[in-house]
Amino acid sequence: MLAGDWLIVIASSVLVIFLFQHLWSHEHATTVQIRLDDTVYGTYSLNQQRDIHVNGTLGKATISIINGKARFSQSPCHNQYCVHQGWLSRSGQAAICLPNQLSLELIGETKHYDSLNY
Amino acid sequence: MQINTTINDHRIAKLAAFAIALHMLEAVIPSPLPGVKPGIANIVTLYVLFKYDFSSAAWVSMLRVFASSLLLGQFLSPTFILSLAGALLSLCVLWLSMHLPRKYFGAVSLSILAAFAHIAGQLMIVRLWLIPHASVAYLIPIFALAALFFGVINGLITHQLLNNNLETKLENKTDSASSTAT
Amino acid sequence: MRKKLSIVLIVATCCIAIFGFIVYNKPPLYHSQSYVFGTLVDISIYGEPEDRAKSLSNEIMQDFQHLHHQLHAWKPASENQISELGALNLAFASQSKPINISPLIVEILQDATKLSKQSNDLFNPTIGHLIGTWGFQADEFAATSIDNQKIAALIKANPTMDDIVVANNTAYSTNSSVKLDLGGYAKGYALDRAARYLRKQHVKHALINIGGNIIALGQHGDKPWRVGIQHPRKPSAIATLDLPDGWAIGTSGDYQRYFMLDGKRYCHIIDPRTGYPVDHTQAVTVLIPPQAPDHSQAGVLSDVASKPIFIEPAENKPKIADAMGIKYLMVINQSSQVFVTPEMQNKLTWLDQDFKKRAHVQPTTQH
Repeated sequence: MLAGDWLIVIASSVLVIFLFQHLWSHEHATTVQIRLDDTVYGTYSLNQQRDIHVNGTLGKATISIINGKARFSQSPCHNQYCVHQGWLSRSGQAAICLPNQLSLELIGETKHYDSLNY
Repeated sequence: MQINTTINDHRIAKLAAFAIALHMLEAVIPSPLPGVKPGIANIVTLYVLFKYDFSSAAWVSMLRVFASSLLLGQFLSPTFILSLAGALLSLCVLWLSMHLPRKYFGAVSLSILAAFAHIAGQLMIVRLWLIPHASVAYLIPIFALAALFFGVINGLITHQLLNNNLETKLENKTDSASSTAT
Repeated sequence: MRKKLSIVLIVATCCIAIFGFIVYNKPPLYHSQSYVFGTLVDISIYGEPEDRAKSLSNEIMQDFQHLHHQLHAWKPASENQISELGALNLAFASQSKPINISPLIVEILQDATKLSKQSNDLFNPTIGHLIGTWGFQADEFAATSIDNQKIAALIKANPTMDDIVVANNTAYSTNSSVKLDLGGYAKGYALDRAARYLRKQHVKHALINIGGNIIALGQHGDKPWRVGIQHPRKPSAIATLDLPDGWAIGTSGDYQRYFMLDGKRYCHIIDPRTGYPVDHTQAVTVLIPPQAPDHSQAGVLSDVASKPIFIEPAENKPKIADAMGIKYLMVINQSSQVFVTPEMQNKLTWLDQDFKKRAHVQPTTQH
């Protein structure tokens, strides 16, 4: 093997390791999709720290994003099921606020299923 | 019917036949992981590229893909398209990487690069056509690892073959085989 | 030699390009979501051009809206107009003469009566007053104080589907305490209706999800549709399974609608024998294969069949599951123990390792 061959072997090994880390730490979602009624309100990267305020059917809800996680942090609905859902961090996880007609879904490289039975 | 053939054509035909045989052999041997195959036929392509030139290697590679699929009854099937996409992309990469300085980058380098191009081409088809599901991403690291592993092995084998001058031995063998047959 | 090579390479590239074009032309997955039926409706259509898929899902959403107005138990369609079911309930309450009902209601009443009988009246859509007493008949319900006397009185009145007499497109009730609430039926009925509509429109592949109840048509590309089952206490899925053509899945859970009072959870599923919410079960999931045309359909069963199983205590669950004809069943009890039938176990792919370890395989019929 020549010097360049070693270089290629090392570079490819690094690539393979990177691929494993990136695609097999799978459930890590990359973005959160916010839907308001029947439209997509917006899709936001999870690699940031911010609060998003959305005016739902009932009123203003707050969705927080911190370090790869997202949650409803404040909602005008009565039961607060959406807030109690807590942090979502894995791809495919979702929180729905029926009264406010607002939903969050985490989107990543892989999705385990087409639809959720609940 | 008379077709004028050159020595070059004969050589390509012989080497392509060898590649087809390896391809078919691989097709009938079951793989522990579906889709993961060593790609030993690529050894012939690499060998030809080093020993002769790019156009001979491209001929061998294309003849192998078309002829094997015809022989296996997979012509225009998904398997054929996968193998064609892999072969085309790996030829592109070989064409680019053969301009790398030979002093530093040998058969192993080209073998690894071609193997990665091969799976990249196949995975693109899989993602776009066969399984339009994001779940394919899950398989990429496995295929990449297999490409690295078999790329190195095939590269080392090619390296050995080039040093041992296999073709002359092969020629002797086929000559003796044909003489015993007559 | 070189010239011929370029021809070969061009042919090869053309092969890929042609397939690329076919792929490009193949319509992708169309996905739409809407809040109708008081819940989230989610329709996926695969293999249809986007504009057609869009108009079909809009059609279905509108039909659901229409159905919702007809079947709603407690909300007027508009300020001065009540739903057909609302009018019927008023007639039942005032013990008036038989009133005219639409063929839709006739069909639903007959099917619901049959299912109610099959479940020993554990599926009882006539306990609307009881559900109202617990405060679950509102979009926004609060932790109520519990009116034990009223509950006892409603149980004594004993409304059942048998009290309703349907004849010649009219109906009346022999019991004034009957108040229809199709909360555990309408979503399933709507699933079947949408599936029927899509098949009639020659749509081969679709997945319809109404508030968690799902029915599948065809498949997603060359793979079956795959659905996840919600964890009763966490915002994630515990397992996935493939839903083949015509199959439906439904879950009754204590996490869907509930309120907390003095640290105790009161869920929306009420035992019609006692009048109190069920507290021994977290979730019951049923998987329904396609049914014969003259029977209750898969969607309806996915909605209805899980309730009686949810209500019965653990020892009676296998028996009632048998009575409802359920083979694919998963039960999660209050201490988070999981029981699955062997048939269900074969279908499930666990995502949650804790649940996988805790799952007990148990046939429905215990001999």
